[in-house]
Amino acid sequence: MTSEAIRNEWYPVALASQLGPEGRDTRLLGEPIRVDWAAQGRPRVRAADGREMATRLRYGHIWACPGTPSRELFDIPEADQPGRRLVDVGVVRVKCSPLRAVENFLDIAHFPFVHTDILGAEPHTEVGKYDVAIREEVDEVWATKVHFYQPQAAKSAAGGITTEYMYRVPAPTVSILYKTCPPRPGEWDVITLFVQPLEENLCEVWPWMALFDDETPMTDLIHFQQTIFLQDRSILENQLPRLLPLDPGMEIPTRADLTSVAYRRWLKRRGYTYGAQLVAA
Amino acid sequence: MILYDYVLSPDCYKVRLLAALTGAKITLRAVDFHPGAEHRKPEFLKINPAGTIPVMEEDGLVLTDSSAILTYVAAKAGPEWLGDDDARMRARVAQWLAFAQRLSASIGKARTHDMLQKPADIDACRAGGIQCLREIEAALVEQDILGARFLAGDRPTLADIACFPHSMLAPDGGISVDAYPAIRLWTRRIRALPGFVEMPGIHRLHDLKPEPAKA
Amino acid sequence: MWTPVALSRDVPPLVVLPVVAGGRELALWRSASGRIAAWADRCPHRGMRLSHGFVRGEALSCIYHGWSYGAAGNCLRIPAHPDLEPPETIRVAVHVAAEAGGLIWVAPSAPEAPPPDPGALQPLRSLTVEAGTAAVLSLAGLAGDTLARGHLAGVEVTVAVQPIGPARCALHVLTGAAGAAERIALSRELDALRRRAEAGEMAA
Ligand SMILES: N[C@@H](CCC(=O)N[C@@H](CS)C(=O)NCC(=O)O)C(=O)O
Ligand code: FES
Ligand SMILES: [Fe+2]
Repeated sequence: MTSEAIRNEWYPVALASQLGPEGRDTRLLGEPIRVDWAAQGRPRVRAADGREMATRLRYGHIWACPGTPSRELFDIPEADQPGRRLVDVGVVRVKCSPLRAVENFLDIAHFPFVHTDILGAEPHTEVGKYDVAIREEVDEVWATKVHFYQPQAAKSAAGGITTEYMYRVPAPTVSILYKTCPPRPGEWDVITLFVQPLEENLCEVWPWMALFDDETPMTDLIHFQQTIFLQDRSILENQLPRLLPLDPGMEIPTRADLTSVAYRRWLKRRGYTYGAQLVAA
Repeated sequence: MILYDYVLSPDCYKVRLLAALTGAKITLRAVDFHPGAEHRKPEFLKINPAGTIPVMEEDGLVLTDSSAILTYVAAKAGPEWLGDDDARMRARVAQWLAFAQRLSASIGKARTHDMLQKPADIDACRAGGIQCLREIEAALVEQDILGARFLAGDRPTLADIACFPHSMLAPDGGISVDAYPAIRLWTRRIRALPGFVEMPGIHRLHDLKPEPAKA
Repeated sequence: MWTPVALSRDVPPLVVLPVVAGGRELALWRSASGRIAAWADRCPHRGMRLSHGFVRGEALSCIYHGWSYGAAGNCLRIPAHPDLEPPETIRVAVHVAAEAGGLIWVAPSAPEAPPPDPGALQPLRSLTVEAGTAAVLSLAGLAGDTLARGHLAGVEVTVAVQPIGPARCALHVLTGAAGAAERIALSRELDALRRRAEAGEMAA
């Protein structure tokens, strides 16, 4: 049985546009659940014993809380901003800890080696100083002023640019990034990773985007993001130990890893241990 | 030549790879295979009633099988990829092009099952995948004894292009590739070919690029 | 204790691969100059398997963030911080690797004696069998343990046996002088042997 700190969070469990009348049998935190539509297009999520969970329909996805929500589902104000294209990227299953999937999304130093010639390229490997904070008032992890040189920052990008990023962790298995938006200076493109923890070592990942890009066909936007995420998948399935170590000692963070350090500290502080290990094994 | 393409499909990738290696000009038309299942929609079924990708279209010709598409692209842009004009080599290339269908049906299915939740008899797909990898390994061992570095001879042909992607992507479907030394060296040879392009899950040989100088 | 993990021929310069020896997962690799090494298959930075990495010159780099490591397992370079001299404390656990008679051998720490030398033989192939070492050797009619000898398909063979688990082992097969047709027949015989061993057939 998982702790309340774990059960009282919100989790993505389905992509609304892909959930047919037959519903979806899946798992959450190691337990079977069923997602379907109740009357009036209201999503319904039930545990194996038939108990209904709190649900939300937001950001293209259906969200469920297996316990008692400790707070409302986080807000992404940009989701309602006129002019953005909302992109349902679809699910990818990964044999890894849900927390490793989130942490990888917060990392830029791997771009030149894993997303070569797209999100990074040698010799532009340096990660400059950036700011990281746990924002107590909202209880979220934020990294800002992150800069990185990118050969092809977005599907719409024509050449290399230095991109600025902000990263945000509003829930233990959700990560949101804001990045420079070439066609719309002053605005940020929003790219998220919604992670459904099936087991401590198995997750389903739902990337989702809210972009300013009127040119690129929808399918190309989806494929660009799937390309990026599938390049990460073989990394995530080959990290040891499988569970994310929350205590220092097993791994060697540097200044470039400060977002990961803050994320692990934040998880530990709130007792979020699903997919984590506490003592260096 | 229009290729109805999906970035994560090994069968589409082999066509993109051959085009890159031969310099053939292809126009990509992205198909929303996942999550949209566009290949099952009526519009797409008018092009390929079988509901599979890749599909290639040119001047009224519609090809719906990756081996046929490879043959077409090679015949137009790089006939040397068809193999020498001798009976044995031609037949060997044809045999591996046919074999590639077994790779799609085993490793390909295990992969879409594990990654994208497509239905499959996963144990049967994995067992079939291991069997295929063992056959490729054994064939490469025999080729090596005969002094040939590729599947159909001592130079790369469509045989290699057709079998290379699934041989590298097997781990995506939970099939280990650790135990095949001949496959490891053969896939490195293919990745070292001039003009090679990658796909997610198959990365380039970073060792071919020199270490950047210290600033 | 030395464990044979590969045929030298199958690990040319710039190749890195995962192997198991003595229950440990290792990254086996050869540098550009030909030096062979076997390291713990885990990058100290964030735990990525080093066997997915790449070799440049005399260093092995991790595929995740590109940290590179020199002969002693010491960190040479952290690409995210190009001006940083990596601290001495960042080290990959290094095992001992040595070559003898066309085979690569590894041990957790330097053993008293050099690895067994099978003599001047030709490498044929390595293959992994989903069956225990003893069952495979007796089915093949080969005598010996780490280096087993005998005849298969009429060819004189020496087989270096790598136990991988209770029901898995790898055979690294070497032969004396033999023509191409004989070597091909032997390779096919090894596939047949594997099928029989995996079907649970026992030696008569
Ligand atoms: N015969 C085909 C097989 C290709 C194949 O199976 N493609 C998969 C995608 S990688 C497909 O279209 N599957 C249809 C489906 O899963 O519904 C070829 O090689 O061209
Ligand atoms: S995990 Fe190896 S460099 Fe980061
Ligand atoms: Fe990534």
